Amino acid sequence: MSSSTLPPRRRIAVLLCWLALVLAAGWQISRTTFTADLSAFLPSDPDPQQRVLIEQLGSGVPARTLLIGIDGADAKVRADASRALAAKMRDSGLFEQVHNGERSDWADVGAWLVEHRYPLSPAVDAQRFTVAGLRDAIEETLSLLGTPAGHLLKPLLERDPTGETQRIAESLIPSNAPRSEAGVWASRQGARALLVASTRAAGSDLDAQSAALDQVRAAFAAVAPPGLDLKISGAPVFAVDSRAQIESEVRWLAIAGAVGVSTLLLLAFASLPALGAALLPVATGVLAGITAVSLGFGGVHGITLGFGATLIGEAVDYAIYFLIQSRRAGWRAWLRSGWPTVRLGLLTSMCGFGALIFSGFPGLAQLGLFTVSGLLGAALATRFVMPVLLPEGSRGQGLRRQLGRLGQAAVERLPALRWPLLALGVAAAALLAARGDLWRAELGSLSPISAEALALDASLRADLSAGDARSLVVVQAADIEGTLQRAEAVTARLDPLIDSGAIGGWDSVTRFLPSLARQRERLSHLPPAAPLRAALAEATRDGPLRAERLEPFIEEVQRARERSPITLASLQGTALAPLVDALLLRRADGTWVALLPLQPIAGDQVDGAAVAQALQGLPGTQLLEIGRALAELYERYLGEAQVQALLGALGVVAVMALALRSWRRLLAVCQPLLLAVLLTMGTLALLKVHLGILHLVGLLLVVAVGSNYALFFDMLQRDGHGDPDTLASLLLANLTTVLSFGLIAMSAIPALSAIGRVVAPGALLALLLSAAFAPRPATVP
Amino acid sequence: MRTAAALVVLAALGLPALAFDLTALAALLAERKSAETRFTEERTVSGLDGPLRSSGTLSFSAPDRFARHTLEPRAESMVVEGNTVSIRRGGRTRQMALDAVPELTALIAAVRGTLTGDAAALQQHFRVQVEGNAALWTMTLVPRDDRLAAQVRQLQIVGQRGELRTLELSLAGSDRSLMIIEPLPPALPGSRPQAPAAAPR
Repeated sequence: MSSSTLPPRRRIAVLLCWLALVLAAGWQISRTTFTADLSAFLPSDPDPQQRVLIEQLGSGVPARTLLIGIDGADAKVRADASRALAAKMRDSGLFEQVHNGERSDWADVGAWLVEHRYPLSPAVDAQRFTVAGLRDAIEETLSLLGTPAGHLLKPLLERDPTGETQRIAESLIPSNAPRSEAGVWASRQGARALLVASTRAAGSDLDAQSAALDQVRAAFAAVAPPGLDLKISGAPVFAVDSRAQIESEVRWLAIAGAVGVSTLLLLAFASLPALGAALLPVATGVLAGITAVSLGFGGVHGITLGFGATLIGEAVDYAIYFLIQSRRAGWRAWLRSGWPTVRLGLLTSMCGFGALIFSGFPGLAQLGLFTVSGLLGAALATRFVMPVLLPEGSRGQGLRRQLGRLGQAAVERLPALRWPLLALGVAAAALLAARGDLWRAELGSLSPISAEALALDASLRADLSAGDARSLVVVQAADIEGTLQRAEAVTARLDPLIDSGAIGGWDSVTRFLPSLARQRERLSHLPPAAPLRAALAEATRDGPLRAERLEPFIEEVQRARERSPITLASLQGTALAPLVDALLLRRADGTWVALLPLQPIAGDQVDGAAVAQALQGLPGTQLLEIGRALAELYERYLGEAQVQALLGALGVVAVMALALRSWRRLLAVCQPLLLAVLLTMGTLALLKVHLGILHLVGLLLVVAVGSNYALFFDMLQRDGHGDPDTLASLLLANLTTVLSFGLIAMSAIPALSAIGRVVAPGALLALLLSAAFAPRPATVP
Repeated sequence: MRTAAALVVLAALGLPALAFDLTALAALLAERKSAETRFTEERTVSGLDGPLRSSGTLSFSAPDRFARHTLEPRAESMVVEGNTVSIRRGGRTRQMALDAVPELTALIAAVRGTLTGDAAALQQHFRVQVEGNAALWTMTLVPRDDRLAAQVRQLQIVGQRGELRTLELSLAGSDRSLMIIEPLPPALPGSRPQAPAAAPR
């Protein structure tokens, strides 16, 4: 056995180089922020509609809204706890709004609305203060007096006989409100008090969201008597929990994967140094991947990180090939025989995943960059560092001989199964062609939220009904006045939709902050004292309400004429400020956006088509249905990923074609890969799994890993005989891959388990098929 | 159901010593599955010169639909179905969830509970007192909920057998409303023949 090692100075230089790179990577990683929200899976170059969607998902009210339930005990106890919890939350300053159905919520707002009723009331027009208009308005007010509803109006009668306050209040009644029990919101189904709160911090600020959640839990623990249960849901909970879950899962997977793979390697090599050396390219690859993504994207998504665990499966293969194959003739011989094949396999994998780097979705591009740089790092570590550490491969014998024999037996027997396997492949293709709805998973499939958490969220949302702003009209303009005027144009078109039942109601900032033009117009209709007094006398003649009582009305109308208009600045610090802030946003570029959430009629959905039609032709206006927009986005995303995966696969074939320079050999290599993909997809289709983007990424991985196997069989054929050591290395590499992806298949994070469930069976199939379809060595009789 | 109710009525008539109570009244009321009536309402409000008058129709169909259409002096309507209240005034329609407003829930429970003979619903929201006999009874409802009691002191309903005759609402302060209810001729197919007393105008 020739043991030609590198000169000691070169060895030390290589190791120092490697160490320096690892340290640099570690430093970069320590400065990296890790994210877990869906934003990385939203397009980086959005169209205007997507931009609004992203804003809403990132910092909009839905992203900051907590839904809180208090379960247990009786209604009175729950209501007391709800009030105490709401008070503590309001005092904490962490929340912009906290609502639990207490009427006192509206006390301050009510006083403000009464004071500003004339610029705010939609009923004030040119007719309102004429004799006929006054008579009509007073009649309408009187029609409520003497009924239970009248008791709120009666104290205002002398100041507001035309009922402007009533008009404003009426428009604020939500069509869908939670049930009220013992003075606070309660669930319709069971024993639960309800609260809604929006945090001050943006939805994307996970640390602040986490702090807000801790505050709620601590406040509840402080105020709630025993027997009560706190339930929290909403986007911030999902985001914070997802981050924690991804962190713990990644840790768990990394540990379980490392232990499992190490055990296999120990059994195979029976040598600790070999084990350590085998894990080295893996660690290098993971570090390289995270570092590259961190440098390229400024942050790493949790799912990308979770994906890092999957790299163990492929990167360890390189080490295994080296350790086993260089044992025969030393590392120099391996560099000549084995390394070109590994290098070709690496190139094909990089080609396959390289296509993803150009995705318009940062999340997918991250996965691509991570894989490409991770595999490159692992391969380079194998090529340059392994020969320094273990120049003669692994010394240990372990189970290698048995593995080699098993491999040889398989190589001899499997080709007999070619035709049945081909038939299976054709059947799978037919099945896939017959099932048109194979690709149907949703964007939600990328998120690790559990079914229980989703069920709790759905039940709280149903209880709160109005708390879910899933449909909204978005109005934008260059300045605030333009935006408000456009919002007013929208509300004029929405009102008929309430009558037709397409929507139950709408919210708009213009209820509290009409455009200046609209305010001036309303105020211009307010008559001076003398004509108003004369008109009132005429309008109340023969009626039960005497004009003499209405002097306060005349006086307040005069005061309203003098008052300066309501502005955004004048609303700051009032009880209305949070409402206004939620519905009117200033963008970083100075433009303004008004959001008009639409409420469905009870038990129904907003009729999006009717709304879109009603809004046609309004400038700067669009309807945003978050659920549908997300679904469309995912569809585009999936379509783009499919094209890229196809391009990647073509790249793989092109690289192999260039390297093999033979159509026959290329066909022999591609055949098992294609069959492996078909059979894997066919099995998933049989199991009625809806395929999503991560299944697609998994299939790419099958092609990447499988191409290594196929190329090795091609190499074996050239060598003329099935070398037991190479076969053993292939079998071992495959076992580690199947093991590590099998672990990932069991992950509670759907995105990871999707990859695992594709790659674990896919890789096994790829090896068996490569063996079955390997060209027969020419020397076989 | 009807037989059982009839038995109760017979028992009430045959045994005058037995008190006519809420259970007996409820059984009587539960017989009716739908009704169409006219009403005239007179409201007395302190501070106004003279009463406010209005008129219109009331309709009810079991189990939970109740509508009040005011025709004079202004067209208005309130329709309650299940948990949804639709109010139409001045050409504008508003919808809301009934159980979001506890006071409204109680008032609607009073109306629907009376129309369907749901004694439990009445007793949940009110202290109920029944006087008289099946031929002429008076039911007085006093709100249990403090918030409603601050607005409505009591409701008093006078009826003959299964039919309502007057509904008097005493509000906080001295305001009150008296509604006189007269049956309309049965117009809906499937509605039960009316007693002779319910002859049209």
